[in-house]
Amino acid sequence: MPDAANAATARDGRGEAPIAVSVRHVNMVYNGQHAVKDASFDLPKGNFLTILGPSGSGKTTLLRMIAGFGAPTSGNIVINGRAVGAVPPHRRSIGMVFQKLALFPHMTAAENVAFPLKMRRRDARTIPDKVERYLNLVRLGGLGDRRIHQLSGGQQQRVAIARALVFEPDLLLLDEPLAALDRKLREEMQLEFRRIQRELGVTTINVTHDQREALVVSDEIIVMDKGEIQQKAQPTETYRQPNNPFVANFIGVTNFLQGKALSFEAEGEVRFLHGDVVLRGRAGSAAASLGNGREVRGALRAEQIRIAAEEAALTGLDTVVSGEVEDAIFEGERVVYEISVPALDGAILRVFDHDVVGHTQFEAGRRVFLGWTVKDVLVFAG
Amino acid sequence: MKAARTAYPIRWRVMDALEAVAGILWPRFFRAGTPYLMLAPAILLVGLLVLGLWQMADASFRTLDTNTFLLSEDYSLANYKRAVTESLFITVAGRSLVGSIIVTVLTLVISFPYAYVMVRTPSATLRKFLLIALFLPFFIGQVVRAYGWLIILGNQGMVNEAFGLIGIAPMRLLYNYPAVLFGLVQYMMPFAVLMLAPALTAIPEEIEAAAGSLGADWVRTFRHVVLPMARPGFVGAGLVVLTLSLTDFAIPAMLGGGSQDFIANAIYDQFFRTSDQGLGATLALLLVAVGSLLVGLVFTLFGAGTLAMGRVKA
Ligand SMILES: Nc1ncnc2c1ncn2[C@@H]1O[C@H](COP(=O)(O)OP(=O)(O)O)[C@@H](O)[C@H]1O
Ligand SMILES: [Mg+2]
Repeated sequence: MPDAANAATARDGRGEAPIAVSVRHVNMVYNGQHAVKDASFDLPKGNFLTILGPSGSGKTTLLRMIAGFGAPTSGNIVINGRAVGAVPPHRRSIGMVFQKLALFPHMTAAENVAFPLKMRRRDARTIPDKVERYLNLVRLGGLGDRRIHQLSGGQQQRVAIARALVFEPDLLLLDEPLAALDRKLREEMQLEFRRIQRELGVTTINVTHDQREALVVSDEIIVMDKGEIQQKAQPTETYRQPNNPFVANFIGVTNFLQGKALSFEAEGEVRFLHGDVVLRGRAGSAAASLGNGREVRGALRAEQIRIAAEEAALTGLDTVVSGEVEDAIFEGERVVYEISVPALDGAILRVFDHDVVGHTQFEAGRRVFLGWTVKDVLVFAG
Repeated sequence: MKAARTAYPIRWRVMDALEAVAGILWPRFFRAGTPYLMLAPAILLVGLLVLGLWQMADASFRTLDTNTFLLSEDYSLANYKRAVTESLFITVAGRSLVGSIIVTVLTLVISFPYAYVMVRTPSATLRKFLLIALFLPFFIGQVVRAYGWLIILGNQGMVNEAFGLIGIAPMRLLYNYPAVLFGLVQYMMPFAVLMLAPALTAIPEEIEAAAGSLGADWVRTFRHVVLPMARPGFVGAGLVVLTLSLTDFAIPAMLGGGSQDFIANAIYDQFFRTSDQGLGATLALLLVAVGSLLVGLVFTLFGAGTLAMGRVKA
């Protein structure tokens, strides 16, 4: 297994953290369908990784294989240098917080937290102290005697986290445990996950379909679609430099402009023909796939488009077009416009205006000007 | 006006008329009583039962006059004295009690894996097969089933023939205590499985997975998580099996061949053979008392299980 060997030696190279989890060409096939297809990645110790993807993209399947529920159809998973192929979950040192929490309803909060210590036969005298310490860590001090059904949703989350961490596992897995919470509580718990993870330094893999959560909590993000890893990068890079149209579309609000490539120029600039208009952007895919005549798509984020009443206000931008406001949605911290642009074959562009206080809102039917620069447009093959 | 008529379809007007009639027959201020009215048939049935019990209580205090074959006019405790002192009755009672407890334990032990696989299997085909196999005996009925056992376990039955092939002398597999217990377990299994299955369904698979990831192997997951969480199912199933086998008549009669009577068989003998209705009633009442005592004991020890009623705790 040359890849696994690479993973093991990666730590020496540039003084990086050692690899905690190494996933190598992992496949999971259900009834002839790939739930996970050829997944490979390395996760350094202490990192907070989020697997982000739409429902059914294979996130849970991948996480469960790492936890030891269901062996991969093919491929290898190495945790702390040990191939874990046939190791059952209870012999792995992995704390997992489940989608529905899976707390034991017949036990108190403290008994839930003590459970893994008892199952792992830790010194009985140290258990009460440890339980208290971890209940305090998740800010549930004094609530240990409560039954699970006597706790609020947020408090139950905290019990689940304490229970998954109390035995000091090598790895913490979170399978969308926040999905069912209301937005305020969810955002509060996201920050809690981050605080606790930093405090303990435990290597963490979090699964979510919530792009905001992924961007807020993670050191790195893996974007998945249809069982395949689309991109693995830091949050800012995932956002700024998506690998392909799926990632560009899944994270943020992106306008796509279909076209045919005209020329590939120096410094990665691509010209392409959209309708009768020549547009420019920077290459998002390999140069070879953006050659003359190829089908391409330009991706343009809604917040990168400037909007103004007068053309003169947009001087200095590379592309300026005029359009008509179809719809204006006031969302508080921003206004979302849908604007039809005749010069772009009547394409409807979504545009954010964040200067809600400074600008007067354009009404539907109003003629406006839109502008952006070459580097705002990422050009992908396809 | 025509437009209004079409907008108000005939069906609605019929319903209105029906409602008006119902309003006259059962005025609005009676409405609160409707749910209680629906209880009436059940109360009537239970009432009849109580009435019967009362009659039996009366009979149990009268002794049989062997000359006239009528019950005596005067009341005494003679029947009760016979019931608790005569060795025949003590043997029968002991056999029924011990037997039903053994049957309950065995049935629960055997039914749990069956229910577990039935609930947890990812294969719909296997689940259907297990369900059908479970219900099949219900369609066959107790008598035919017991007869089946005669064919299989009889002296010239299949089992003894198989033994013969490997050189084991035929042995008596029927008309003994184990045969009765065996028959009872087989008869009770569907009831137990049907009561355990919902309790197991109520335990999310994720909970068992969680126990695994927290360090529990399957034995400890079963002991510390599944068993306590399925307890209502076990208690409910145990109660049903215990009371049904304690009071069973057909299987001890057929597989015991008269030598392995349970209480119900003794009662039958008193009512229909000796015609001592007084003693029969006494035995029946004692059976009711012992059964209630056992149920009460289980309730206090383990809670009322799935038979418990009342609102679900939030
Ligand atoms: N036990 C299973 N049997 C058959 N198909 C499954 C099973 N688990 C998951 N799948 C399929 O695998 C795909 C990925 O599922 P999952 O990993 O749960 O996605 P996610 O967690 O991203 O929503 C889905 O199409 C799902 O139907
Ligand atoms: Mg999932």
